[in-house]
Amino acid sequence: MASSNSNSVAGPRMLFPTVEFALFFLAVLIAAWGLYRFNTTHKAFLLLASYVFYGFWDWHYVPLLFGISLVSGIAARRIQASEAQKTRKMWLIAGIVICLSTLAYFKYTSFFFTTALDLWSRIARTPQVGIPSPLLPLGVSFFVFHAISLMMDAYRHKLRDRVCLLDALLYVAFFPQLIAGPILRASGFLPQLSTRRNPKAIRVNRALLLIIAGLFKKVVISNLLATRLVEQVFAAPQAYGRVDTLLAIYGYAAQIYCDFSGYTDIAIGCAMLLGYRFPRNFNAPYIATNPQDFWRRWHISLSSWLRDYLYIPLGGSRGTAWRTCVNLMITMLLGGLWHGAAWTFVVWGALHGFYLVLHRMWNALKWPPLLRMRESVSWRWASRLLLFHAVCLGWVFFRAPSFGTAFDLLHRLTVHGAATLATVPVMLALLPGLFGQFQPLRWRKSLEHELGCWPAMARGAAFASAIFAIELLGPSGVAPFIYFRF
Amino acid sequence: MRAQRFNSLSQLAAVMAGFAVTILLLESDALAVWAGRLEVNRAAMIAVRITSAIHNTFEPLGMENVRRQSLAGLDRLGWSDDPARLLTARKAYLGGPVQSERSCDVVVASGHIPLTTPARGADAPLVASIPLQTKLPQLPPAAAGKPRTLALVGDSMMAVGLSDILLRDTAADQDIHVMKAFRSGTGLARPDVFDWMAEYPAMIGDTQPDAIIVAIGANDAQGFVDNGKVLAFGSAAWVKVYQQRTAEFLNMLTQNGAHVVWVALPPMKSGAYNEKIAEINRITYTVVSEYPQVSWWNPAPYLGDDKGAYRDFATTPDGRITRIRQTDGIHMSDEGAALLAPALIHWLNPAPPVREAQADPAPQNPASHARRERRSRTIRR
Repeated sequence: MASSNSNSVAGPRMLFPTVEFALFFLAVLIAAWGLYRFNTTHKAFLLLASYVFYGFWDWHYVPLLFGISLVSGIAARRIQASEAQKTRKMWLIAGIVICLSTLAYFKYTSFFFTTALDLWSRIARTPQVGIPSPLLPLGVSFFVFHAISLMMDAYRHKLRDRVCLLDALLYVAFFPQLIAGPILRASGFLPQLSTRRNPKAIRVNRALLLIIAGLFKKVVISNLLATRLVEQVFAAPQAYGRVDTLLAIYGYAAQIYCDFSGYTDIAIGCAMLLGYRFPRNFNAPYIATNPQDFWRRWHISLSSWLRDYLYIPLGGSRGTAWRTCVNLMITMLLGGLWHGAAWTFVVWGALHGFYLVLHRMWNALKWPPLLRMRESVSWRWASRLLLFHAVCLGWVFFRAPSFGTAFDLLHRLTVHGAATLATVPVMLALLPGLFGQFQPLRWRKSLEHELGCWPAMARGAAFASAIFAIELLGPSGVAPFIYFRF
Repeated sequence: MRAQRFNSLSQLAAVMAGFAVTILLLESDALAVWAGRLEVNRAAMIAVRITSAIHNTFEPLGMENVRRQSLAGLDRLGWSDDPARLLTARKAYLGGPVQSERSCDVVVASGHIPLTTPARGADAPLVASIPLQTKLPQLPPAAAGKPRTLALVGDSMMAVGLSDILLRDTAADQDIHVMKAFRSGTGLARPDVFDWMAEYPAMIGDTQPDAIIVAIGANDAQGFVDNGKVLAFGSAAWVKVYQQRTAEFLNMLTQNGAHVVWVALPPMKSGAYNEKIAEINRITYTVVSEYPQVSWWNPAPYLGDDKGAYRDFATTPDGRITRIRQTDGIHMSDEGAALLAPALIHWLNPAPPVREAQADPAPQNPASHARRERRSRTIRR
């Protein structure tokens, strides 16, 4: 259990790897299972707990979360209640406009103003305008996407039962996924809320393994790489040569994977202990051999959300090849902008859109020798390596605070310099951070099976010992998860 | 084949019980430390009492020795990120000078810096207000052939934005050796969380800086416990202790004749927090005024509006509107820190770049040079 800097200026946050969250979760777990026979009370309790969890960051924004959930719940009910297609569409559009306007106001207002004024300053004197800059509510991008999913699934007749307002509120605000996903589909989660939780269906061993894996990835690998490698080089690339720079880029690839997949592992594990199932969000993304494969493995809940609610409504791949490429680029550009209101994120999205377009064109080549080559093992490894470095190029723009820093960093790859940051702890964190994804699935399954044979008390003791080891290995303090800011 | 245990609530309860007992055995010490680090209030005091009781119960079992020995073993491998702990481990097992893993700083097995002079300004009457416009002098030129050693000291007000810009601006200058001695989430109010008097000597080793830029205090708007008494932020007793700690900290920084710029805390977005920050600024100004080689420098004219009040955006020299503060309304963005950097580089008085010095024999104003550099980069972006 890592101790948080709860008295730092960042304000108190109930981060997963903190004592505060552990105590909160233990209390919620006990109470939730105590109430599981009374499904409505059980859900009301979980909703209340979710608001407490969110309010721990800032109580002032709980009404916003409640408001967005309520709007989407009411819109979904109206959509379901209406037979007329026009009315259904009107409610859907109204709900989406409210949700996206909220997101736009909090996340993109100052970005829009500064961009507009920047353009204006190129042709005339910059006017003195007060630019609004609201505080970005934690996880707003995630709960807005949940709200949209609820309304869209209602509109597409994917929800079997009439949406109950309590279920809608809990679906949007459920604390394990509230601030950094995974983005649940209403059609996948609401049916779980309609039935009483079954204690015999709790996969305790799987949940414990997920929580341990997530904590290890976040607290040990991600935090260590961040503090001892990545932050230093990205802060002042000019001070480092090509070896350190390359290490920092690889380090960031490992850091962001461990940070985000670690968060979702903990989220999935916590939800599992409460009796709920979340979809998988990562599936060894760096073993992907092409960009399409990568996006089926990286942040799966977001990429499938974008596919279903943006790419397919745009026309998907049903039109001409040109139109498909345009749809891909639009989807990835907006996906980039979703991550942050900055042009560096747009460039990151554009790069991935370009990769997807290039891959589509490459796949369209049906020359027989080329087809044979694509089937070979050596080509698979070469393409894996090539894709990994293309992804790393994207991470440079994703991580860098500005284009200047990103290009400085890329330039440093050409400058000779000693490896000053390749210390034992850094290398010990980097290797499992990158290559841990190649571990066979059967290892985890056999471990889960093995744990299942142990007495329950011994499993609890092993879980505690693992947390103890993680606490010893992790740097002091806990850096916020990267995806919190989105 | 061994039997699988099926899931049930009783299984879950037994797992949680096994977990609770083991974690209390292994982590009772860490739990007590956690409670001690909470922001001081009634709930925190209850947490302290409970965790202390747990710790006292489990202490006789000696399980915390496992923790201590494990940590000591990891420290010997250089795993720790705590400078003082790392230093202690290295002193104990290696002795003698040890090269740090970091490129910019050298950690040498030395002890605390001995404080030979009494702290000044600890009892000085608090000023009523702080000046908005403060002039930053220029250091005398560094001796020929001797690089100037600059230490960047502070909490996240140094770590976020300011240190990045200063490191970038000095990276190419062989005559400036920069030491990173900052740590986010720290301050002078809570030595129980992070003791700067112990950590700073470990951070710098025996390479004494001759110039120091300090930006600290953003985490200090909170109460603390002193001699068993809870002191509320801003109370007379709190001010007295904080003043004393600031004076001792400054005494340590200047012990070897280093020149210091104390970058005051900038205006903050939240009104209530801003008032607390103003109080901290008054205290640091009072103390710093007692030290002739320390300059208290107010960044408000750069980061604030005409009256020094908080603003999110500013216009760059090339007419662009840019965000100068992070979205948290506390820290500086890179662009905001870049507004401060030229003045700080000017104070540092670096040698002019050789190529430009040859091309233009006239003495160059480093401030205008830094400004030109900044402008060219801003435009490039």
